[in-house]
Amino acid sequence: MYPSEFEYHRVASVKEALSLIQQYGDEAKLISGGHSLLPILKLRLAQPRHLVDIARIAELGQIAEQSGRITVGAAVSHHVVHTSELVRNKLGLLAECAGNIGDVQVRNRGTIGGSLAHSDPAADYPAAVLALEGEMRLESATGARTVKAADYFIDLMTTAIQPGEILTAVSFAPLPAGAGFAYLKHRQPASGFAMVGVAACLMLDKSGKCQNARVGITGLGAKAFRAHAVEGVVNGKAPDAKALADAAAHAADGVDPLADIHASADFRAELARVYTRRALESAVARAKP
Amino acid sequence: MKIAGEQTLSAPRDRVWALFNDPERLSRLIPGCEKLEVISPTEFAGTLNVGIAAVKGVYAGKLKLDEVRPPEHYKMTVDGKGKQGFMRGSGTLDLVAKGPKETAAAYAGDVQIGGPLVQVGQRVIDSAAKMLIGQFFAAAEAELKAEAAGTVARQGFLINFWRYLMRLVRSLFSRS
Repeated sequence: MYPSEFEYHRVASVKEALSLIQQYGDEAKLISGGHSLLPILKLRLAQPRHLVDIARIAELGQIAEQSGRITVGAAVSHHVVHTSELVRNKLGLLAECAGNIGDVQVRNRGTIGGSLAHSDPAADYPAAVLALEGEMRLESATGARTVKAADYFIDLMTTAIQPGEILTAVSFAPLPAGAGFAYLKHRQPASGFAMVGVAACLMLDKSGKCQNARVGITGLGAKAFRAHAVEGVVNGKAPDAKALADAAAHAADGVDPLADIHASADFRAELARVYTRRALESAVARAKP
Repeated sequence: MKIAGEQTLSAPRDRVWALFNDPERLSRLIPGCEKLEVISPTEFAGTLNVGIAAVKGVYAGKLKLDEVRPPEHYKMTVDGKGKQGFMRGSGTLDLVAKGPKETAAAYAGDVQIGGPLVQVGQRVIDSAAKMLIGQFFAAAEAELKAEAAGTVARQGFLINFWRYLMRLVRSLFSRS
């Protein structure tokens, strides 16, 4: 189907975008890469009368390092995140995650802000953003606020973004030197979505034991989450195969797994456990004590 | 699709039963409910404007109650249609008193959902349903708490008498 009729506004600044969504309220929808929104529009599941295109706002397209934090603008494409020297060197987990999203065409159009604002349960970024403890910058007509990843993903496709707010950037503390990380997913063969996706990063202390393990899991439940149960078991242990498998066994603890035509709840839970173990093993192999 | 669950509500069972049988109060609890009309004591018709994030739609539906055993049980049959899809199903609601001020509401049912919404949203339909049911029970809990706190009672005798008169007049003048 074609989307229902809408008026298209291409804005050059966040301020302009904010005034338009203020003006049109419920009838306006922001569009960035369009890869979450366009399928919904084409099926007429959403019928906004105004589309506000923020993909070309200059300040949203930057990746910068400032005061020890790396800030990625909301309109930066997955391809740019994946290939950026700065991100590869200091936030390798994010670059690896971005490189796994969809396919080349999707990565050239889709943006990190759009993906995080839409918060599809099978999206890849949420797992990495949780594991990296990213902070979301939300701007509105009255100011700006920062929401930590742990507080940002609320429920199925529901985030902390309030009406009238725009997600303009995500910022991260760089991974410490010697950190090991991995993003592994079980791809749905047709769409490339993560049936389960696991982002893991950890450090090894001088005696080779795991510390500061952070594991983000997407695709398993209604929203991406931090697998604190896994982290609790693996931290402080020597990372042999058994220890990692024991930790990974807790991957689906406390989560109500999704069930659909692609995978039953039990299968998804098992996928989560297997991929968590593999992600931990990869992260350990890449870490330098 | 099977739906089942249990929620504890902070009110004695007869208050919970009264709430779940009062279309006027129910219409405020059901997510997106714009209208809930009484066709007969066991049949309601309503309009829902509901969705998650960008995906919202208007649905017109009918709800029928059977096997009504106050204050503990009824069976609901639902039939709803909208541009984005349809929903048909039936389920049961059982209320069990857990204490003088607590009731466990257990629901179980089978729902068929179809249309464009399901074709594209199949993988999130389960979670979406759970989320909306969660919203409903959260609203029910808030309403029961407000009632206990006397918010409704405070509105006084006159307005409740007026509402009673209006319901009487409406029922006298409506024909099915």
